[in-house]
Amino acid sequence: MLVKFLATYRQIANCKSCDMPAPSNVLELMEALCARWPEFDGLILNDERTDKGDDVIILVNGRHIEHLNGVATPLTEQDYVVITPLVAGG
Amino acid sequence: MTQANGWIGTILRINLTEGSIKKEPLNMQDAHDYVGARGLGTKYYCNEVDPKIDPLSPDNKLIFMTGPLTGTAACSSGRYEVVSKAPLTGIIGAANSGGHFGPELKYAGYDGIIFEGKADHPVYLHIDDDKVELLDAGELWGQGVHETTEALEAKHGKVRVSCIGTPGERCMLYAAIMNDKNRAAGRGGMGAVMGSKNLKAIAVRGTGGVTVARPEGFMREITKARTMLKEHPVTGNGLGTFGTEILVNIVNEVGGLPLRNGRDGSYWDKADDTSGEHLNETHLVKNQGCFGCSIACGRVTKIEGKGDLDGFGEGPEYEAGWSYGAACGVNDISSIVKANFICNEQGMDPITLGSTVACAMELYEMGAIPEEDIGFPLRFGDAAAMVKLTQMCADGEGFGKIIGLGSYRLAEKYGHPELSMSVKKQEMPAYDGRAIQGIGLEYATSNRGGCHVRGYMISPEVLGIPVKLDPQVTEGKGAMLKTFQDLTALCDSTGMCLFTTFGIGLPEIAGQYREAVGSDETDEEILLKGERIWNLEKRFNMEAGVEKDTLPPRLLREALPSGPAKGKVNELQTMLADYYEARNWTADGIPTPEKLAELNVTY
Repeated sequence: MLVKFLATYRQIANCKSCDMPAPSNVLELMEALCARWPEFDGLILNDERTDKGDDVIILVNGRHIEHLNGVATPLTEQDYVVITPLVAGG
Repeated sequence: MTQANGWIGTILRINLTEGSIKKEPLNMQDAHDYVGARGLGTKYYCNEVDPKIDPLSPDNKLIFMTGPLTGTAACSSGRYEVVSKAPLTGIIGAANSGGHFGPELKYAGYDGIIFEGKADHPVYLHIDDDKVELLDAGELWGQGVHETTEALEAKHGKVRVSCIGTPGERCMLYAAIMNDKNRAAGRGGMGAVMGSKNLKAIAVRGTGGVTVARPEGFMREITKARTMLKEHPVTGNGLGTFGTEILVNIVNEVGGLPLRNGRDGSYWDKADDTSGEHLNETHLVKNQGCFGCSIACGRVTKIEGKGDLDGFGEGPEYEAGWSYGAACGVNDISSIVKANFICNEQGMDPITLGSTVACAMELYEMGAIPEEDIGFPLRFGDAAAMVKLTQMCADGEGFGKIIGLGSYRLAEKYGHPELSMSVKKQEMPAYDGRAIQGIGLEYATSNRGGCHVRGYMISPEVLGIPVKLDPQVTEGKGAMLKTFQDLTALCDSTGMCLFTTFGIGLPEIAGQYREAVGSDETDEEILLKGERIWNLEKRFNMEAGVEKDTLPPRLLREALPSGPAKGKVNELQTMLADYYEARNWTADGIPTPEKLAELNVTY
């Protein structure tokens, strides 16, 4: 499963994207990211580690997880995930 | 003599035909009702100018207007507005800019300037506090923005300069007015109006200040708002670190980055080559802020080791990075930076220019524009041709003159007006209304034609600020857009930067406004002024003969071929009905007499 990192998350992961085995859902993916790159801990998960942090945008196949099934959104090897800190412009 | 309410209390009225300079009191009732800057400038304009006016005729007027917070300690309060009927669109053309020019004008003792008539030879306005004079601009005529600015600084010392380049002199339809070299009142062709009056520049030096009504309350509100801006991830760190170009990847990932004039959908596998992350790695020198701004999103950039492309300047912002990037199918970041430099150095709107080049590329590839008209091949992805055509447009040379008409007139000339990605003849910016429904509604209803900063629906639809709306659905978009448009009209009119609204909202904007002007109005009463401004602009546009609220056929009928929004078109009619209802207008989108009376929109 492809995971893309944007903005400052690229610096944490030291890459633009990586292949990871697909966990069963987005929450498990975030836990796996925190395990692989401890700097993500405290950034992408909330304090209770039950949901994503407020300042994180996560897309699964280009769709915000808020409009899917949140962190319970299921994942398969064919999915791709984008994870970025909140950014803006215009 | 300043007033203790954020205002100086004085307007300069310059009749260029007569060469006369008058100082008159600010209309305080209109300042109360229409806030300042965009709203107040538009009110003055509507009071004084026939909506049917030819924008480039001597009878048209050009108004520079600050807001009550401009030049104060309020957050990001360096903004001013230039108001006139826009030659590109034929409707109201308020254009907003930052930098330091607006505050300097107030420190010199003036809330705004109204230019009338036309000089019989090129002139510029020099302001040094009480001393105001029209001077000969013969030696400046034919110079670019940077040369003009540097010449006036050399002659007059520490002045802030707002000026046009050579496209403005030629009344090119989307010429911009540039201040502090690289800040732009960019859209709609305010620079063409300035050029039509033989007015090359304004150079201002001010040594005064601005006084507010309730200093303690004002500082309390500012401290609260600045803390919120500092603590918000976007305004505290994100925009300063990456600039606006950071949007490229996230917008592309939701399938909303229009590719090759929108012909090829809105997802691009090369988007990252043009991203804010890549710009930082390749061309960024440092970030930079406007007057009183803690966000500092500006990009100081340079190109080195690229031969003819080498240069130094600012930007690109996200919109220009898209128009010269994905819209033209060009993924060479140096060429994108270069094309944007040319726009800044000569004063041209890069959104319209890049989009017009993209339109020409599509017309060329389908055989509608013969190669002999252009003089060289013009295929999507040809970075060298794109930069060359931009320079030709700046110079008014060959096919560059046709590019200078904008995409609507270009596409119409070659028999395909439907391929202009414009609304009311102004090019839409960098978000596809098929993938992001609400921004399509914003383009269709914007009071100055295709524009994203009249109601930035990307904020809720893509970024989740302040609420998360699904970009692919239509429900709730009409009412949300109405609120965004009214709040934006208010924010623009205070003299604050719209980017503050990523981190603060109505309570903080209204709080700073209230303490500055000495008002006891509620937040809701202050927001109502934004709605009044919106309805005033709409009324003027209707009397000017505005086209109906719609989108290019491509967005309404050509389903996206790929990406996360594959198969989508913009569902405009559904959203328009909701939007007009939210505005309490007729089902045809017309403000009722009752609505205008309720808001006291008169002139």
